[in-house]
Amino acid sequence: MIKVTIDGRDVELENPVTVLEAAKQAGIIIPTLCYFEGLTPFGGCRLCLVEVEKLPKLQTSCTLMTADGMVVRTETDQIKAARRSVLEFLLINHPLDCPFCDKAGECDLQDLVARYGPEAGRFAEGKRRHPESFDDPIIVRNMERCVLCTRCVRMCNDLQASYSISVTGRGSHSFVEPFSGGKYNCEYCGNCLTVCPVGAIMSRLHRHTYRPWFVEKEIETVCGFCGVGCSMVLQMRENSIIRAIPRAEVGFNKGLLCVRGRFGYEYVESEAQLTTPLMRVDGELKQVSWEEAITFIARRLKEIKDAFGGRAIGAIASGRCTNEDNYMLQKFIRFVIGSNNIDSSARNYYAPAETYLESIFGQGITANLISGIANSDGVLVVGGDPTAINPILGLQIRASWRSGGKVIALGAPGGLKRFVAYELMPTPYSEEIVLSAIVGRLLKGKALSGENTAVEAKLRSLRIPSDEDMEVTGISPEDIARASDDLAGMATSVVVIGPDIIQRERASKNLFLLGAIAYLINARIFLLSERPNYQGVMDMGCLPDFLPGGRPVELEMFRHKIEDALGMKAPEDRGLTLFEMINEAETGGLKALYVMGENPLFNIPDSARVKKALGNLELLVVQDIHLTETAGIADVVLPATAWPEKEGTFTNLERRVQRVRKARRGKLASYGRDDWKIIADIAERFGMTRKYHRVEDVWEEIMHVSALHAGLGYEDIADGKAVWPYSGEPLRGMEGDFSVEGLEDLPHVQDSEKPYLMIERSLYHSGTFSRRSKALLSIYPEPYLMINPVLSERLGLAEGEKARISNERGVLELKVKLNKDVPDGQVLLSNTFEGFGAMGLIGFSTGPVIGSLYIRDNTVRVEKVLV
Amino acid sequence: MEKFLLKNIENPASASLEVYLKVGGYESLNKALQMEPADIIAEVKAAGLRGRGGAGFPTGMKWDFASRDVKFPKYLICNADEGEPGTFKDRPILEKNPHLLIEGMVISAHALKSEMGYIYLRGEYPYAKIVLEKAIEEAYATGYLGDNIAGKGVGFHLSVHQGAGAYICGEETALIDSIEGRRGQPRIKPPFPVNVGAWGMPTIVNNVETLANIPLIVSIGAEKYAAIGNPECPGPKLFSVSCCVERPGVYELPMGTTLREIIYDHAGGVRGGRELKAVIPGGISTPVLTPDGIDCPMDFVNLPKRGSMLGSGAVMVFDDTVCLVKVCWRAMRFFEHESCGKCTPCREGTGWMRDILERIEGGFGREGDIELLQDIALSITGKTFCPLGDGAAGVVLGFIKNFSDEFMYHITNKKCMVNKDSQSAG
Amino acid sequence: MDIFEEIRALTEKYPDRRGALLPALYIAQEDAGWLSQEALERVSSALNLPQATVKGVATFYSMYKHRPMGRHLIQLCTNVACMIMGAESLVDFLKGKYGLEPGGTTGDGRFSLVIMECIGACDRAPAMLVDTDFHSDLTEGNIVEILEEYE
Ligand SMILES: Cc1cc2nc3c(=O)[nH]c(=O)nc-3n(C[C@H](O)[C@H](O)[C@H](O)COP(=O)(O)O)c2cc1C
Ligand code: SF4
Ligand code: SF4
Ligand code: SF4
Ligand code: SF4
Ligand code: FES
Ligand code: FES
Repeated sequence: MIKVTIDGRDVELENPVTVLEAAKQAGIIIPTLCYFEGLTPFGGCRLCLVEVEKLPKLQTSCTLMTADGMVVRTETDQIKAARRSVLEFLLINHPLDCPFCDKAGECDLQDLVARYGPEAGRFAEGKRRHPESFDDPIIVRNMERCVLCTRCVRMCNDLQASYSISVTGRGSHSFVEPFSGGKYNCEYCGNCLTVCPVGAIMSRLHRHTYRPWFVEKEIETVCGFCGVGCSMVLQMRENSIIRAIPRAEVGFNKGLLCVRGRFGYEYVESEAQLTTPLMRVDGELKQVSWEEAITFIARRLKEIKDAFGGRAIGAIASGRCTNEDNYMLQKFIRFVIGSNNIDSSARNYYAPAETYLESIFGQGITANLISGIANSDGVLVVGGDPTAINPILGLQIRASWRSGGKVIALGAPGGLKRFVAYELMPTPYSEEIVLSAIVGRLLKGKALSGENTAVEAKLRSLRIPSDEDMEVTGISPEDIARASDDLAGMATSVVVIGPDIIQRERASKNLFLLGAIAYLINARIFLLSERPNYQGVMDMGCLPDFLPGGRPVELEMFRHKIEDALGMKAPEDRGLTLFEMINEAETGGLKALYVMGENPLFNIPDSARVKKALGNLELLVVQDIHLTETAGIADVVLPATAWPEKEGTFTNLERRVQRVRKARRGKLASYGRDDWKIIADIAERFGMTRKYHRVEDVWEEIMHVSALHAGLGYEDIADGKAVWPYSGEPLRGMEGDFSVEGLEDLPHVQDSEKPYLMIERSLYHSGTFSRRSKALLSIYPEPYLMINPVLSERLGLAEGEKARISNERGVLELKVKLNKDVPDGQVLLSNTFEGFGAMGLIGFSTGPVIGSLYIRDNTVRVEKVLV
Repeated sequence: MEKFLLKNIENPASASLEVYLKVGGYESLNKALQMEPADIIAEVKAAGLRGRGGAGFPTGMKWDFASRDVKFPKYLICNADEGEPGTFKDRPILEKNPHLLIEGMVISAHALKSEMGYIYLRGEYPYAKIVLEKAIEEAYATGYLGDNIAGKGVGFHLSVHQGAGAYICGEETALIDSIEGRRGQPRIKPPFPVNVGAWGMPTIVNNVETLANIPLIVSIGAEKYAAIGNPECPGPKLFSVSCCVERPGVYELPMGTTLREIIYDHAGGVRGGRELKAVIPGGISTPVLTPDGIDCPMDFVNLPKRGSMLGSGAVMVFDDTVCLVKVCWRAMRFFEHESCGKCTPCREGTGWMRDILERIEGGFGREGDIELLQDIALSITGKTFCPLGDGAAGVVLGFIKNFSDEFMYHITNKKCMVNKDSQSAG
Repeated sequence: MDIFEEIRALTEKYPDRRGALLPALYIAQEDAGWLSQEALERVSSALNLPQATVKGVATFYSMYKHRPMGRHLIQLCTNVACMIMGAESLVDFLKGKYGLEPGGTTGDGRFSLVIMECIGACDRAPAMLVDTDFHSDLTEGNIVEILEEYE
């Protein structure tokens, strides 16, 4: 116990902390400028000077550690004079342009000068000049205002770990700069902007449109871009979002956001926003009234149900919509229409992977806290770059590395490049062999615990690759040994599983192997999720085989429970998955499809085939905020509200239920309606009697129906208590076996002459939404084909030149971008830009065991386009 | 006094191992290798050696702290940054007696159980780099460096790390950052380098001259050593004497030799027999003295009593032709240029003071400038992150305190008191 | 030897490759006479250090040059001792004789002039370094002689 006296107050401390922190505990706020909670102390600004008895000089409280018996004074005349002179020094080179500065009103320097003076500076010489830099599309840099606190640099290095900026120069000629001196070319998280105490670096998006006093209201919500679910505050003026910012005190993201969350929101105010319902009349989509549209949909669905039965109807739910929206869609399709044909793009990888892993290890196996990753001593990453797919989760992996954790990535490490001890780069599609080898090595070193007999039985018959088998993988047995031994040495490890390892033939084997590794080294598993609410989609029962709360449809006991609660009936058999629905649509078995907030024509491979299949339907209803590719071929299009326009909840990948709050209305009152509301309206036409007035009514029903969510009210959610397992009961003791494809053999890895087309999962984009975000587009404006220099040389294709890529599915012409981190034998294309989606040139099938999408026939011819 | 640090440097081949061995080189090392590390540290402590880099910290105590830390590896760094204007005392050792330094470092490494060392050499000494690297090569070739030194199973590796023009990198924590490949800015202390230094490991930073004293201590023993010069801070000391003297140069004299002796007996007196106007005793960062201070013994104890410091022992002598406003301005230009920029008072204050001095010197001084300068200097003093800022403030305060008339003259007459016709305000 | 390899080899001397950054920058600078963006990129990739970090370090130290330099670099000290002994008039002299401004380069690309802080030769002031050679006790008379040796 350490006792110190600060301004006459006694403070007792468990652990040694800085004088600044100790003072804070005693309720004494010492002024600071270079200090920022969470960043390594710097001690440069000299504002936080205090007097300490027995020490001759003033001390910086942000760096001085408390010691027992210390007596500190924080506001004496001497200290005030020192602060005044520090501020006077700072104003020497700081322009007096507060009236033009967007920071005015929330500027630390302004506030400090107001408090400590000087009233008038005595500096009468020339100020340092440095023109404002507008070279970057996102960040405006005004180095005349910089006070060199280095908070931005420490943020970028210590927390974002992007190392994109640095102080350059020396003394009073120091400036903060990105490498180029102009454009940042960084991860654009904007976290440096958060910490700048003055107006030296500011977002260009908000230039002159944001002033602190413009903010009329602040809405606390969660980001709608990915499965991490960062907390953020939307600052509103009239009906516009003027800024999205994090709050250090709110949410597990602790004041950090990624580029999408911070700058991507503009899509909701895009011109392209749908305004009224559209209906196809004479082959063309025409504006109609809500009444007209809803009556039509209800009538057609009834007709189809009457003629072909409920099973001829299906629905696609949305990882972008709230739990409430998804729940309502599920209820409508399952209990009103009488069909279990409900699924979502979570089927691409997230849902089947989770279901499969849960079948092996039990429900909740992937429910782990993101914030725990930073404290783990090792991370295995397979199947995607977490720093791009789930950026804030990715930062946790960087943090683990920074505190000495080992990070092992199988495949291109992407944004983890600086954070891996060595690279394990297998040849395309040989990961299964590598993982088997790792499991083999782990098994050698460790006796089985007997805890999970099913897993262990399978492990016994697993074929372990010989050194010879390893040859095709391009990874040496020594590398396997090293990686496995590193894994075995971890005490608090994490396995992160990304989409690319699941979207594979024999995905069950890959997942089993990853699960086995986690089992053997006692790791926690994380599944990456590109959408904010894939987990919620699953929890709400938007799966052909599971009811809300993760209860299997086919188990009568569970079905009856829910049926009783609702007073409605659901079909007994499992329904069709997303891909089965597409197949059935192709062959005529499925007649109507209701698509909510999803764009299958763009987000599922083999677009041409999907388009043909959906074209076969008798009724295609699409509910969305933009006229997507899929909406473009629909019979009816319903305008929905976007993420900041509605109330509800998302469940993130760690299974934290969080509140989404309404910050704005659609541009006009008659514009979009909430997804759940539209569906409830239609359901009413079918005679559903339950009335929902507010979104809370929907959530109450969810609490009632889902055993998982029992007793979890909105208030609990707002308190941040809604982390798995919720107060409801998880499903336990689901004993049973599981199957694994090809346990006793190894895949045949073939060399392809043509490169494989892989999906670039970019940090700056997230499919169809981000292509309407001006800021994100300014960073990554157009599609390109990413290739490595070896291929570029072979094809004579230089950066910026045009390449033609083609296969039997189509042809695209794209600019080339070189990146030495693209593995040999691969080319990358994102699935973002209209007409240039990677999915269009990729074929697919579905895995027989887990039912996920598996990508195939994705080799392409790449040639130079001669002009 | 018999020379030890600069022994034999008149010999054109003094830097070679062969010549060094001929005059008894590496004998101390052989002796030290027979000794227990702890005994060497005790000897250095007993000798009362104080660091020659400027601060005068007792070397034995520093070593003791470092040896108590249980973390390994430990790094031994020789500070050969010698950036303090007026200072060139380490240079003859580096260029002409490199093996003395290497010998001192190997003994120190043995005492400190360090197996890896660097000589942080300022970028402005390219010739010293060549000499040192050659000497290191010779030492490796003859087994005075390597894994098994002199066949005694002691290992020590040494290389030269060249700075690149940053005075602040002479400050030991900035120096460590610079070796680690960073912007050389001082670090927060504690932790001190002896516990958390280079790459987070215990690190001992000593000045060239300090390390060059070690072989002498080992060879003659603490007792005899402590009898050289002022007993409170004994030993031979190198003084670099420059500016207005007849024979500028480096003089090896006992610690505590008076300024008068140094200037008049050794450096030949003020050039052309002119009048002595002022002396900076320890490099530009130490406050200036008036002629009545020259009987002060040059050591860590007596100079502070006269309001200055021994610093690097760089004696800068100014005669009556020198404009001290201009000297003060030039010194401030140096501090502004060398301020690392980490802390506000030094980063902003040095430039501000330089601005004002430049005006005064140029004949544009204003009433109140002197008070403003003093006020700025006092606002810096004691509030900077490292001593560089304090030094800058101290210089201004020292000049103003002792030569305010000259500043006043500049301001009121808008011209220089010394070169009366050379300055005129437009 | 390619500078890439030379830089890699340097890392041996340090427990952490970043330690080799200062010497690596010297190597790159020697290669081209100054540190261009490309040179910094090369250093950054050879040492696997972030580019911005490398730039931050390279711009901290005054002996790294960020503009092309003349074939020979005159580093003339004007600090106190040299100033007293006449360094300022040498600066004027170089301006007159070669049209060489502090921080500038002669039109023919032969010399660049950089003003230095004390270079540790105060006893033989004024002093300068031309490339890596020391010259001291300079006067208007001998400085030309000395410089004429540098083509
Ligand atoms: C601004 C500044 C510059 C310094 N420059 C040098 C220097 O050039 N050489 C040196 O040996 N010590 C220099 N020092 C002192 C070192 O920080 C350190 O005290 C010294 O190297 C320790 O060695 P010693 O104990 O042997 O003197 C400097 C200190 C400061 C604050
Ligand atoms: S936006 Fe993010 S990545 Fe870019 S400089 Fe700022 S902190 Fe670094
Ligand atoms: S840009 Fe802002 S955060 Fe960065 S150093 Fe300058 S004042 Fe501090
Ligand atoms: S990590 Fe995901 S949730 Fe967080 S800000 Fe980025 S996109 Fe939004
Ligand atoms: S006093 Fe401050 S700015 Fe000056 S050199 Fe020291 S740390 Fe840097
Ligand atoms: S807040 Fe402590 S020095 Fe800046
Ligand atoms: S002042 Fe010029 S060399 Fe020292």
